[in-house]
Amino acid sequence: MATSPSDPVVSIDNVRKEYQLGGTVTALDGVDLLFEPGSYTAVMGPSGSGKSTLLNLVGALDTPTSGDVIVAGENVARLSETERAALRGTRIGFIFQTFNLMPRLTAVENVALPLMFAEWSRSRRRERAETLLTDVGLGDRFDHLPQELSGGQRQRVAIARALSSDPELILADEPTGNVDTETGAEIMSLLRDANDRGNAVLLVTHERRIAEHADRIINVRDGVVEGIEQVEHTRPVGTEAEIGERAVGAGQETTGETR
Amino acid sequence: MKSRDGVRIALRSLTGHRLRSALTVVGIVIGIGTVIIFASFGTSVQTDVVGEFEDTAASEILVVTGDVGLDPDDGSFGPPPSPGNLDSFALPGVTTHDLEQLRDTDGVNAVIPRAELDAVTALEYDGQRQPQTVIATSPSAFPEDNIVRGQSFEQGESDQMVMTERAAAAFEGNLSVNDTVTIELGEENKTVEVVGIVSQARGGLNLVGGFSTEAYVPTEPYYQEYGETVRSPSQGVDQAAYRQVTLVAEPDRVTDTSSTVETYFEQESDAGQVIDGGVTVQSAAEIVDGIEEVLGDIIRLVSGIGLLALLVGAFGIANIMLVSVTERTKEIGIMKANGARNRAVMGLFLAEAVMLGLAGAVVGIPAGLAVGYGASAYAEVGFTVPYGWILVATLMGIATGVVSGLYPAWRAARVDPIDALRYE
Repeated sequence: MATSPSDPVVSIDNVRKEYQLGGTVTALDGVDLLFEPGSYTAVMGPSGSGKSTLLNLVGALDTPTSGDVIVAGENVARLSETERAALRGTRIGFIFQTFNLMPRLTAVENVALPLMFAEWSRSRRRERAETLLTDVGLGDRFDHLPQELSGGQRQRVAIARALSSDPELILADEPTGNVDTETGAEIMSLLRDANDRGNAVLLVTHERRIAEHADRIINVRDGVVEGIEQVEHTRPVGTEAEIGERAVGAGQETTGETR
Repeated sequence: MKSRDGVRIALRSLTGHRLRSALTVVGIVIGIGTVIIFASFGTSVQTDVVGEFEDTAASEILVVTGDVGLDPDDGSFGPPPSPGNLDSFALPGVTTHDLEQLRDTDGVNAVIPRAELDAVTALEYDGQRQPQTVIATSPSAFPEDNIVRGQSFEQGESDQMVMTERAAAAFEGNLSVNDTVTIELGEENKTVEVVGIVSQARGGLNLVGGFSTEAYVPTEPYYQEYGETVRSPSQGVDQAAYRQVTLVAEPDRVTDTSSTVETYFEQESDAGQVIDGGVTVQSAAEIVDGIEEVLGDIIRLVSGIGLLALLVGAFGIANIMLVSVTERTKEIGIMKANGARNRAVMGLFLAEAVMLGLAGAVVGIPAGLAVGYGASAYAEVGFTVPYGWILVATLMGIATGVVSGLYPAWRAARVDPIDALRYE
């Protein structure tokens, strides 16, 4: 289980993933990737490029048809369903485009969800959740239900939840897809903060401007890695005005790709 | 996941759909309520009947001539499975000598012969003539508690009579103690004085209270003179012979005394020799057991019908849980992405189903008891709380939840998190 600081947090080695949908559909066709601890990587590609499949594999939600996916030192394909659940709950934090909060649980309970499944005591869970919610600026929304929160607030609850078990890896799937541009900028800034604290972040998006927040962009198309580019941050990343300006056109585009 | 957290989350889901949960619980309430209604009413009737019978008759041993097929060993009660020797049933056979022997038997407190005087056709009082059964018996048939007014007759007094309240009420003008009544005894008439009014007499099979319309006279002289006789093998003379005798035993020695009496009838008695097939000795305790058992069977049968209603409720839970699993597919995906094991997901849905079942029991049991109490009050029997059935009903509620929730919970646990997270 233990990984030394130099070991990659995710290692993808010659991974193929095929689906049987009437015929054989190849979603990933021999992918090799490494994600270092504390790295910030964006995976970019259009619909059907295989980036969602990649996310499912790295998130231990799915297993590859062939090749190895190693997350936090664990070969996902060799884990039982129960072990994969534990891996997801303690080593990986998920952030989704549609927030995916439990509708009948309060903000605190949502944040504490992974801790509940990891059998933390109730008081410790609450303490941890309150700290995280305060960090994301929701110190006055502890006991609100998701429906009582705005879209941006919901996504901030989701970010706090992704951070709750202080995982090695945070997976963010189009995290700004369902919020306005200003809120999108806040969310990208929170992700940057998390990364600065040492959590590796894997951001999946189809938007170049969002992808550019990462330090590295992996372009995926038709199930293969087309190219990897380093992003030079010449100016401070994530000022609100700048993001807002650039994301105007992106809103409509996003609605077409909710999956 | 800790089970306490599971219960809390499941409860949250149920209260999130109040109306739906309430309607589902109603199905279980009806099922469990029905079981409890029948069980509580049945148990009340059973306790009431048995209690009344035991008060007066727990220490009684009934001796009937002939083999009536009441086998004390098989514990059953009712028509004999294989009829005994019916030819010998209810022939006069227990002689005066037998009665004397029984009186001297250890453990026997009183001997109460009982015989209807066939020669009597009617009673006449103050110009009114009423057809009336007159029974010859002994003063022991009227213990203190049974006497409403006056006193018992005395053995050997031919001008004394006792009658039940109902028999007295049959005559207009409130027939009571000290009134004079004429017995039409075939061709002759006997004039007697009513010395006592009783609620009932010991020695009959007064199963359900004393509602008999009967008049009583002493066996001496009435049965000696007008009753049936047989030749006593032991005495060699004709003696009055009875079909039915009731022995009052020492309360704590009923079973012993019963077997002593049985042995006497088998080995020494006149009746055993006169009657082909001997006599049947049955202690009241055995009869009470028999009644209790029959009533218990009826309660079980009828309460079992309530289980059908519970079955309908179980389908209700299964149905609503399946709907719930489909509806909450996305939540299942969220939980799995956040580290929920399949077992935790299954446990959550199972907990919901069990809580629905348990809620049905918690509401259905008091509701059933309330209706059962009402029915008992209406039927004028004392109410008995059927504790055993309450336990059974609670367990049934839980079991219903488990059984009906198992498949939906299994379906929930098997949901693929990728599909679930995509689900809208």
